[in-house]
Amino acid sequence: MGIFIEDYNVSGADTVALEDSIMQKGKQVTAGSKILDNFVSPFNATVVDRLLDGGFKISGRTVMDEFGLLKLSHDDNNTPSGAVRAVSEGISAYALCNDLFGRYREEAPQYDCCYIHPTYGTVSRYGLIPLASSLDQIGIVCRDLSQGFGLLSHLAGKDPKDGAMFPDSKYCYGKTDEKITLGIPRSVIEKADADTRESIMDFINKFSSTDIDLEYFDLYSQVMYILSSAEISNNLSRYDGIKFGYRASGYTDIDDLYTKTRSEGFGLDAKLTAIMGAVVLSKDHYGPYYEKAMKIRRLIKESINFDTYDVIVLPCKISDDPYENLALYSLAPLAGLPSVSFSYKGYGIQLVAGVKKENLLLSTWEVSMA
Amino acid sequence: MKYETIMGLEVHVELATKSKLFCACSTEFGSDVNENVCPVCAGMPGTSPMVNRKAIELAITAGLLTNSEISPRITFDKKNYFYPDLPAGYQLTQLFAPICKNGWVEIETDAGKKKINLVQIHLEEDAGKLIHDDWMDTTLIDFNRASVPLIEIVTRPDFRSAEEVVAFLEKLRSLLSFADVSDCKMQEGSMRCDINLSVREKGSDKLGTRTEIKNMNSLKAIAAAISYESQRHIDALETGEEVLVQETRRWDDSIGATFSMRGKEDATDYRYCPDPDIMPVFIDDEWIDAVRSNLPETAQDKFIRLTQKLGLPEYDSEIITRSKNLSTIFDETLQYYNNPKEVANWIIVELLSIAKGDNKGEDDVRIDCQKFAKLIELVDGRTINRNVGKKILSLILEEGIDPVEYVEKNKLGMINDTSLISSTIQEVLSENPKALEEYKAGSKKVHGFFVGQIMRKLGGKANPQIINKLLTEALKEI
Repeated sequence: MGIFIEDYNVSGADTVALEDSIMQKGKQVTAGSKILDNFVSPFNATVVDRLLDGGFKISGRTVMDEFGLLKLSHDDNNTPSGAVRAVSEGISAYALCNDLFGRYREEAPQYDCCYIHPTYGTVSRYGLIPLASSLDQIGIVCRDLSQGFGLLSHLAGKDPKDGAMFPDSKYCYGKTDEKITLGIPRSVIEKADADTRESIMDFINKFSSTDIDLEYFDLYSQVMYILSSAEISNNLSRYDGIKFGYRASGYTDIDDLYTKTRSEGFGLDAKLTAIMGAVVLSKDHYGPYYEKAMKIRRLIKESINFDTYDVIVLPCKISDDPYENLALYSLAPLAGLPSVSFSYKGYGIQLVAGVKKENLLLSTWEVSMA
Repeated sequence: MKYETIMGLEVHVELATKSKLFCACSTEFGSDVNENVCPVCAGMPGTSPMVNRKAIELAITAGLLTNSEISPRITFDKKNYFYPDLPAGYQLTQLFAPICKNGWVEIETDAGKKKINLVQIHLEEDAGKLIHDDWMDTTLIDFNRASVPLIEIVTRPDFRSAEEVVAFLEKLRSLLSFADVSDCKMQEGSMRCDINLSVREKGSDKLGTRTEIKNMNSLKAIAAAISYESQRHIDALETGEEVLVQETRRWDDSIGATFSMRGKEDATDYRYCPDPDIMPVFIDDEWIDAVRSNLPETAQDKFIRLTQKLGLPEYDSEIITRSKNLSTIFDETLQYYNNPKEVANWIIVELLSIAKGDNKGEDDVRIDCQKFAKLIELVDGRTINRNVGKKILSLILEEGIDPVEYVEKNKLGMINDTSLISSTIQEVLSENPKALEEYKAGSKKVHGFFVGQIMRKLGGKANPQIINKLLTEALKEI
């Protein structure tokens, strides 16, 4: 797999690669799916306008998994994603992408990059091809978190075209002098391998810390999977071959047009997710699945209150099973919290802070790197 | 055996906002195909719906007019189904937290007054329109109507007769159109009605099998459809030849019967779920009070004002307050010429008869009220006579002429000169000896003939009262 679908051949410290889900006016944007074949974006995503206003150059459009879906089917392809490769190989200084299921957050540290997942509602999703609207969040792959937050300060801030945002028009990201206490979910960290655990313990020792219990952790993946499937299933409905994107040829009537278009246009993961989403939203399953998952999501949000700690420390990998690993990457999107992931002494660490507390993440990282 | 028909309605009313429910596109009726479409209402990925506050205000207005509770917090939900006129693959509507609940509307029929209870009123977006092109054997889509705001008014099954249904819809139309919530034009589709109907033996407390008649868009058709469908149910119950099933039916106006549209009503699963892109909207008392304090006069208030304050006859007031459009014309014209009786008269007698000739209903007449007022003043002040006035009214409607300028330019001023009129009378009498003989023989009809002849000689501009007076005197002398 290559890095770019389209390479604009620019280089330098102000270059930003865009995942193929971020819309650029006049460009073909497919979010890695055949169903959006020939779809030409009619407008710029807000983040693209803000990049250009900030004097950044767009280096290209990177390849991605179809819509950024969770790949439950194992494949032998071990190359990292286009966005992480673009940054780690020095082709682009930054990359923007939507990381719902943790692929970028897991990969970035492995390839000596960092990932910033901002607070939900601080970066506009206008022009991001949606996966699951309540969980989607444009984030940044970068080499260095302080530079990454520098870029984020150009992107974040209320956009009237995105209805689910905080009112703040601008955010300042910088170090704080606050004394930081880490929250340590030992039972989760214990699931990681010995080397990772050692690296995390070393990291923790640089700070004051307190043990915490991540309530519902064993439900994170399920809640994430149920809610994201439902929302994705909704969001994929618009791809019907009628208005834009791919349309199958040789259909006999409207139902045949839908069936053929969606059968040929979607990959296996999209089909499975669309079906799973339809199941959890169906009359008989809404209550026991979707509604229950919504309730647990609220409980998860309420359970993370940052009362005795400022930043939660998590490993970037606890299993080879993507579904089990998903739990690590569910907390930030489910609770709308900011997170960063980066490599510490060769092992991935993920930090999660409270809403709009990005500065604590930046400070923690800087202290650990000192 | 005695049967009773039990009905509940779902009434869709298009809100009179300038822009759509979730984007800034115009809602204008009759624009070019796909002229009012943007990425948001075309269901493009990467867009986010932004709720139109004006639409919420109109829904609050509808709630206040129907004695409903206004919800303090509302949300929007996705109703999922595939259809080419639905761009996003789901319709945004309100299932979990509708804007109004538990209202009621009082109606009056020959049987007396009755309260019709409402389950709820919710906001939702309209779909686009499919245009079947038989020549090309293809279907085209016009998305102008996609995402135009609607309210759906859901009643309890409180109706027992077509008269009640029609009275309710007329009342609703009056309430909503007078408050500018909607123009409620059934023929243009801005008010549509689904009827849920079942029949049971009178006295029974069990409901019969229910059928739904979809998308009714005229009161006449509604009355006919109810009568047909009730009878179909009764026949099925009595003869047992047809088994009633719960289904959706379509009324065919040309045949005068209902037909099954789709059977498996319960098989449709719309997989409702909240739309995470739309944050809950909070409606506080302050907002509701602001809407309440801006509520315009209802038709009922207006009727009382016309009859009691302005002293108009009930008949005139009834006609004027039946239509929001006529009421507006009346009030506006009155501002330029404050003579309620004359203005009412000109609207009811002259304006409506011209409109009728042009095949326009009372809601479709448009006139420049300032010019209309000037015209009425010209006639009323005896500057021109009424017949000339009628001709000028047509010209105002057709060409938008200014009546004062027109009268001056064409020298249409009324002839009040008694000597000129007298000499013309003498001329006419001497030119028509036969008619004069008839008059002498006792035929009073000839009087009118003479008036017509005299008026013609004077170019239609003479003061008819003076003609009458002088002609009567002249005839007496003979």
